[in-house]
Amino acid sequence: MDALTIAMPKGRIFEEAYELLVKAGYDLPKELDDSRKLIVEAPNENIRFILSKPMDVPAYVEHGVADIGIAGKDVMLEHDRDVYELLDLGISRCYIATAGMPDTPMNKVSPRVATKYPKVASQYYRGKGEQVEIIELNGSIELAPMIGLADRIVDIVSTGKTLKENGLVEYEKIVDITSRLIANPVSYRLKQKRITDLVERLRKQAVL
Amino acid sequence: MTIQMFEKPLGMRDDFPFIAKKKAELRTSGTNMIQQAGYELLQTPTLEYYETIGKISAIEDNALFKLLDSQGETLVLRPDMTSPIARVAASKLLKEKMPVRLGYYSNVFRAQKREGGRPAEFEQMGVELIGDDSLYADAEVIILAGTILKNLNIESSRFVIGHTQLLQLILEDFGLNQEQIEQVRSAFVSKNSVGFETLAKQLPIEESRVESFIGLISTTTVEEWQQWVNPHNSKQSFLFEEMKKLKKILDRSGLSEAVTYDLSFNSHMTYYTGVVFEVYAAGSGFPLGNGGRYDGLMKQFGLEVGATGFGLRVDRLLEIMSAVSEQQDHTLILFDEQNEEQAFDEAEKLRANGTRVTLQFAPAVKATDEFVKHFSEVLRLEGAN
Repeated sequence: MDALTIAMPKGRIFEEAYELLVKAGYDLPKELDDSRKLIVEAPNENIRFILSKPMDVPAYVEHGVADIGIAGKDVMLEHDRDVYELLDLGISRCYIATAGMPDTPMNKVSPRVATKYPKVASQYYRGKGEQVEIIELNGSIELAPMIGLADRIVDIVSTGKTLKENGLVEYEKIVDITSRLIANPVSYRLKQKRITDLVERLRKQAVL
Repeated sequence: MTIQMFEKPLGMRDDFPFIAKKKAELRTSGTNMIQQAGYELLQTPTLEYYETIGKISAIEDNALFKLLDSQGETLVLRPDMTSPIARVAASKLLKEKMPVRLGYYSNVFRAQKREGGRPAEFEQMGVELIGDDSLYADAEVIILAGTILKNLNIESSRFVIGHTQLLQLILEDFGLNQEQIEQVRSAFVSKNSVGFETLAKQLPIEESRVESFIGLISTTTVEEWQQWVNPHNSKQSFLFEEMKKLKKILDRSGLSEAVTYDLSFNSHMTYYTGVVFEVYAAGSGFPLGNGGRYDGLMKQFGLEVGATGFGLRVDRLLEIMSAVSEQQDHTLILFDEQNEEQAFDEAEKLRANGTRVTLQFAPAVKATDEFVKHFSEVLRLEGAN
């Protein structure tokens, strides 16, 4: 049985995905509370998990140090990497949307958009024929419209609670997001049997 | 932006001595193998016209390095070798000899969009077989690619083979128009199963056939392809028979275990018109090379002839080979004063037999245990024997 390396995002998606693998019949270690570990072995299945920042999963997979990975569609849209997208796992469901202060139109002179997803945001506004300036931020995006840095933000919305708490309202929905199973193109060919088997087992468990 | 004295343009690299040496060796063995198979080597210019090679090469426009010549014409640094060779063949060689077998080992240039350190200039070696539209030509180039990899000690290589024309005809049979076919093809190129399944539900395909349609993306053997081949369509049946023959030839050449037949496999290079393939091996996360039939490209040069070929990425071969060659045999002879003469004789004997030998005076080594780890075999000639 080929050894399989799986890149997983740390945090909530990891737990959901791990549970999905257990449901799909994979014999994985039960105790995983030592969250500082970066590499977790599942010797019974000859699987090794790499725990990384969600944004980095496609990079590990593209370079083949991980055969497969679990990545949010948001990350894949933002970083266009050469990976195979094999399955929609249906977990971590959310969407990317524009938001801002209530009843505020875009500034006509210098419309600004703050976001963690500059590529997605730029594509969206260009597609609408609107010229905006994109400001890339790494976190606390909600702050931008509150203090007048930007008229709109483009960000992930799952429950809408964060927006509400900060007095922001959602304007337009851009795209639905779920976690996807991705594969390195070379690993997919060299370990096709094992990967296809994994896809089929997970497909039955996917939350759709 | 200030440029530091040691900087090079994005994606450009220096080859340090050990890499230059490896490349030189690879160039020699690679071109020898290509010539051995009956191909003649050819060199084409580094600069070409944007209007011809730049456009025909089917490399994305923003990946081309463009510049102007003194007449104001736009030039490109050649982004591939296939189109220049097709140009040469179309303009001159074909009138003299056909089919013509040409090989190359050349650098090509492609600007990288991401992560500046990726090579924007890299070497490719490959062949083009022009003027032969039979499946034997397809088989010949695939087998040659396999042979080159095998001789370079890359054992675990794997080919994926598809057929763009057969795929096109099968998709047409599902009642799709060209625009829809392009959408499907593009999902296939990136093996985007999720996008493909969503697309399948949107396309005007009979409901009873949707499941069969979705199956297109996951074939691994030629036999599986049959379920989509329309027996009443003579072109499809013919191409399918050809694929079976191709498989037979490849099986006979010892490639049976190394090939996956994936009907959905095709290339973002739009000029391919028949058998297409890509080759991979453990040790690199990226394909080592690819190739296929490109009769359509020849047509752009005004010639209705068959042509096929492949190119291998030298940088990726080196990446894998370095792992292979580190395991090379290397004998260490440790000797002391007493055994000096015997040690020298022994070394000479072993070297004459082709073994790589390091001869080391034992007392000069400080950390013997560490030192001997670098060798596959250690011969101790110390003390009284």
